[in-house]
Amino acid sequence: MRNSWIIAMREWRERIGSRTFVLFSILGPLTVLTILYMLFAYGGKTATKWNVLITDPSGIMADKIASRTDSNIRYSFADNYIEIEEFANGKRYQQYDAMVEINEKVLSNKIGFVFYRQIPSKNLEKKVQYQVERRLEEVLVKRFTELSLTDFKKIKQPLNLSFRNVYDPHDFSQDKRAWVGLFLGLVIFVFIALFAMGLMRSISREKSNRIVEVLLGSVRPVQLMFGKILGIGMAAIFQFSIWFVTIAIGLTLMRNTLFPDYISANLENGVQVTEEVQNSRNFEKQFEGFEYNEFVDLVFERVQFGPMITAFVFCLIGGYLFYSSLFAAVGASVGSESDGQQFVIPLVLLLCLGVYAGYYAMINPQGPLTSWFYYLPFTSPAVVLVKLAQGFNPGEAYSLILVGFILLISSIVMLWISGRIYKNGILQFGHRLKLRHFFKWTKQV
Amino acid sequence: MLEISKLTKSYGHQFALKDVSFSLVEGEIFGLLGPNGAGKSTLIRIVNQIIEQNSGWIKYNNDLFRREHLRNIGYLPEERGLYRGMTVEEHGIFLGRLRGMSVKESKEALRYWLERFEIEEWSKKRIEELSKGMAQKIQFIFTVLHQPKLIILDEPFSGFDPLNVELIKKEIQSLKAQGRTILLSTHNMNSVEEICDRAVLLHHGKILLEGRVSDLRDEYKTGQYTVRFEGNMIGFVNALWSGFQIVETREFGNNRFEADLALVGDSSIDTLMSVLIGHVKVEAIYEKLPGMQEVFIQAIESAQKEVTDEK
Repeated sequence: MRNSWIIAMREWRERIGSRTFVLFSILGPLTVLTILYMLFAYGGKTATKWNVLITDPSGIMADKIASRTDSNIRYSFADNYIEIEEFANGKRYQQYDAMVEINEKVLSNKIGFVFYRQIPSKNLEKKVQYQVERRLEEVLVKRFTELSLTDFKKIKQPLNLSFRNVYDPHDFSQDKRAWVGLFLGLVIFVFIALFAMGLMRSISREKSNRIVEVLLGSVRPVQLMFGKILGIGMAAIFQFSIWFVTIAIGLTLMRNTLFPDYISANLENGVQVTEEVQNSRNFEKQFEGFEYNEFVDLVFERVQFGPMITAFVFCLIGGYLFYSSLFAAVGASVGSESDGQQFVIPLVLLLCLGVYAGYYAMINPQGPLTSWFYYLPFTSPAVVLVKLAQGFNPGEAYSLILVGFILLISSIVMLWISGRIYKNGILQFGHRLKLRHFFKWTKQV
Repeated sequence: MLEISKLTKSYGHQFALKDVSFSLVEGEIFGLLGPNGAGKSTLIRIVNQIIEQNSGWIKYNNDLFRREHLRNIGYLPEERGLYRGMTVEEHGIFLGRLRGMSVKESKEALRYWLERFEIEEWSKKRIEELSKGMAQKIQFIFTVLHQPKLIILDEPFSGFDPLNVELIKKEIQSLKAQGRTILLSTHNMNSVEEICDRAVLLHHGKILLEGRVSDLRDEYKTGQYTVRFEGNMIGFVNALWSGFQIVETREFGNNRFEADLALVGDSSIDTLMSVLIGHVKVEAIYEKLPGMQEVFIQAIESAQKEVTDEK
C-alpha cells in the first residue's frame, strides 16, 4: 500500500501541476457560473425590448397601464384611430414594434387586436395581454361595480388545485429536479471520461517509454496500477472540489447580491404578514407566473444539495473505479501507443450509454429499462442521481443501498480482472491488440 | 548469495527458460550472456519478481526469494525510461522512496552520486532536458541509489560513448570492491573479458556454458601461439621447420610483424624460441586465447550444429 501511495502521490502531483489541470479548474467552474448567471438573468425573461403603441380613441384606458413597470415593454398612447396601412408604412410609426387597438366595444365583447411587425415571443405576448387586461379590469371594476380593486382580485383569484403525489406531499420530486440529477450524472461521466482516458494514455505512455520496467523492479504490477488509479482519481476529486467550492461561492454571491428578490418570499417564512399583503402576493404570483425564474427557484430552493452531493461523490468514486479499471486494462494491453483505439470506442460508447440511461430514467421513471439501468454498474452512477433527484417512495431506500453495493462490488471485481490483464499485458510489446489477449491475460496467473 | 535452481518458464508451448541453474557468489561480477531471445531478460524479470516462473526456485542468502528481498536489488533494465517531466532530484526521491528510503536518505544518496560523477548541476534539470547519454548516467545512478547488495544490469553500456563506457566499467568494479554482487547481462564481450569473474551463456533458454571467464577461454583455446617480432618475414619463415604451421600473419610496418602459429607433432614453445633466436628479434611469444566473442560464437555455432545433426 505504501508503494501504491507513493505512485499515487506522483500521479497527483503531475496532474495538479499541469497547465491543463489549472486551466480546467479555473475556467470550468467559471463557465458553469456564467451559464447559470445567463439562465438566472435571462432564463425567465426575454431580452427583446418592445415599443408598443396603444390606440384608444374612446379614452377607456385614460393613458394608463398596469402600474408595474416593465423594462422590456414601453407603452405609448394615441387618442385617435390609426389605419393598419398607416401604422405599417407611416414614417412616424416605424419606432413602434406593435400597435394595440382598443375601441369602445372592448368592454362588452372583450376583443382586442395587436398588430406586430415581427412575431413576438410567447413571453412578450403574455406580458402585453396581462398588462392591458389588468388595466381594463380596473376600468370595468370602477365603471360597473362598487367593489374595491382588492376585493375584486380576491373574487377573481382562481382556484389553484395542486396535484401532488401522496408519497411526496411536499412535491419535492419535480421533473425539473431530475434535470439537476441528470446534470450531475453528466458531470460524473465527463469526469470519468476525462480522467480514465488520461489514465489509459498515461499507462500506455509509460509502457512505450519503458519506465514501467524500472518501476516493476520495486512495485507489484497491481500496486502500480492501483497507485495510478488512486492518484488520478484523487486529482479528479480535487478538481471536482475546486469546481464545487467555486460554484458554491459563486451561487451564494449571486443569491445575496444579484438575485436577492427571487428569494424574498422564502425569507418571509415565519414572519407575520397581513392577510391582505399575503393574498395580494399570492395573487401577484399567480398572475405573474411568467415573471418568476424557474432556474433560480430550481437551484436555490428545490435541490437538496446535501444528499445529492453525498450520492454524487459516491457515484463519482464508484463509477471512476469501475471505468478506470477498464481503461487501465486497455492501456496496459496495447502493443504500441497508437494501438488499442478500437477498444476505446466501445468504452466511450458505454460512457455515452450511461448518460443516455440517466436521460431515459428521467423521462421514464417507471420505464421497463430504468430498473436495469439503475442496477447496472455501467449506467447506475447517472441513474441513481436522477432517481434521487426525483425522490424515493418509502420502502425504496434499500434499493439505493443495493445499487451502491453492486457498484462497489463490480468495481472491486473489475479492479481484480484489470489487475490480471495489467500484470500480464504491461510487458508485452509489438503485438496488435485483439480481444483474445484480454481473455488470455485474465486467465494467466 | 543468489541461487537459481531449475528455473523453467514457458509462454504457451514455447520455453523461454528450461531448467536453468546457477549461483552468484557475493562480491563477484557475473556475466549473463546469450544471443537475442536466449532468455536473459526473462530470467532477470523472474529474479525481479516482475514475472513468475513455471517451476524452479530462487534463493537469496539461503532464503527462498521473497518480495522483501527486492529492496536489496538494484535493477537497470535494458529497455529503460524515465518520467520526462520530473527533475533529476524529484525522480531520484521518487525511486528511492519506492525502494524503502526516506526523502532525506534519497536526497543524500543522490547528492553523493551526482558529486561522484561531477554532475551536481543536473539535479534541478528536467529529464527531458538531458541528452540520451546523460539520461543513461542518471539511470545508472538511480539503480544504485539505495545501496543494493545485488545489482542487476541489463545492457548497461548501450547508448554510452567509449569514455562513458569506461566510466561505468570503473564504477561497476568499484561497486564490486565494496562487496556488491553484480549480474551483468551484455552483448559487449570486451567488457565481459575485462570485468566479469564468471559467466553463463544461455541459448534457447538453456545453459550452454558456465564457469570462470578465464576457464571458458581456456576451454576454447586452439593451442596456437602468437609471436611478435622485428626482422624479415622471409627469415622468420625460413627459421621455422616442419614442427610449426603458420596460421596467420600481420604486418605493422618498420619490419615489425605478428604471426599465429600452430604447434605440430612434438614441437614445443621452447623449441620455437630456440629456432627463432638469431633470425629475428623476438618481442613477445604468448599463447593465443580466444576472446569471449569467439567463445560465444563458437559455442552457439556448435550448439546449432548439434541441433541440425540431430534433425
